Amino acid sequence: MKGSYHIIVQNSRVFFEFDIKRNITVIRGDSATGKTTLISLIDEFSRLGEDSGVNISCEAKCVSANNANWEGIIENTVGGIIFFDEDASVVKSQIFASKIRGTENYYVIVTREKLSNLPYSVDEIYGIHSSGKYSDLRKTYNSFFRLYDVDSIYHNDEPAKRLIVEDSNAGYEFFKAIVPESVTCVSAGGKTGIQKLLNDSDRSETLIVADGAAFGSEMNELYLYMKKHPEIKLYLPESFEWIILSSGLVDGKRVSDILSKPEDVIDSNDYFSWEQFFTHLLVEETKDTYLRYSKSKLNKAYLNARERKAVVDVAEIIKPILGICL
Amino acid sequence: MLKIVFGDVENAVYHPPVYFDNTYRDEWIIDPLSVKMIRDVDRSEVIGPKVIDSPVLGSISVRDLSGGVKTLMLMKFDETGKIFNASACGDNCAKWIYEISKEKDLTINLHHIMSFDDVEGFEAYMINTGKMVRNSTEYVDEAFRIEER
Repeated sequence: MKGSYHIIVQNSRVFFEFDIKRNITVIRGDSATGKTTLISLIDEFSRLGEDSGVNISCEAKCVSANNANWEGIIENTVGGIIFFDEDASVVKSQIFASKIRGTENYYVIVTREKLSNLPYSVDEIYGIHSSGKYSDLRKTYNSFFRLYDVDSIYHNDEPAKRLIVEDSNAGYEFFKAIVPESVTCVSAGGKTGIQKLLNDSDRSETLIVADGAAFGSEMNELYLYMKKHPEIKLYLPESFEWIILSSGLVDGKRVSDILSKPEDVIDSNDYFSWEQFFTHLLVEETKDTYLRYSKSKLNKAYLNARERKAVVDVAEIIKPILGICL
Repeated sequence: MLKIVFGDVENAVYHPPVYFDNTYRDEWIIDPLSVKMIRDVDRSEVIGPKVIDSPVLGSISVRDLSGGVKTLMLMKFDETGKIFNASACGDNCAKWIYEISKEKDLTINLHHIMSFDDVEGFEAYMINTGKMVRNSTEYVDEAFRIEER
């Protein structure tokens, strides 16, 4: 399944309007914002259709699932959007992650839990915002808002003394090569390793570079931690491969068209997260060129002056923090 | 005193709102603390033990209250010794959890790091590590070190 879906769910009192564009979307936030109301409306429509009095407008079929029926719903749904309320504890299990991987559906999950087994994007974590009355003034209008405004997390431009890179191979090798000697560059060996590194006693100015496309599970806790520790800064491109693809080094209108609207190209059936797609695209686009990319080991061509500058320019925002002058 | 335990624990109710629907008593709803919590969290007014006035949904029943406020009432009134999953509560419930813990020893279960930033004088005992935290920064640092979720 691919593409962006505009969804309207309403009854005589409430009106929800939002867009879903990746295979996994998470809704969380304060109590009493309408999360359960939204899922209840979808559940009633799933069971009774128009007889429920609920109206749903969406190009894809919207259904709800729970702990008791989730496997059957997933098996019997193709090209649908499946919603889970927060009582569905199954969503945090490995078996759930295995089951939804490679399916032709999108999933919307209400939860405050991390869901470490699911590679969801920091950009697809939303709260529900009520913004007054809709149309005839009898309905309350509710829309989604992005919960983590990553750009606002940059508390200061203080130079970093330490760079933590989520990647362990090509991405890490690139950043290690470009930072000044005054900056210690360490690999976290994956997203869960970041928390372990922050728990050490090092309180120096630190920049974290991680793959935003699959960093959703870590975001809430890291966000809270950063509010208490302004010495920690965070840079979340979609992935290292996305940075290279965005650099212009891989020429072609096709690549820039894909990057402008990835949701129109990336099929959830083939890619569990956008990060995997960007890696595949970069490998394919460079396979017969001097820039042949491998995730496991950095092609040294990316460290040539021109190539290095092109890649770093995409990550412009972190140049002053790392003291990079090219 | 507030005690916090992260991760799966015995005697915990994972989804308190359903447990509430099947165990609550009418008198819980009209208790002055419940009235205040419902007004603050759900922005709704208690008309009586069976009717709540919601600005969004109109007249609603107790079952239509938010999962957060139902969990708060269980923390306040339930006497079975069960531990309730506070991850069913948004951060806008944090100050009420702390308020309830001033009157009784309250143990809550968390599966995520809840923010207590807006709670004045916050302190809690972290069961997983056996440490007392004296403010919300110490709490976040300690919770960040705990692997159980």
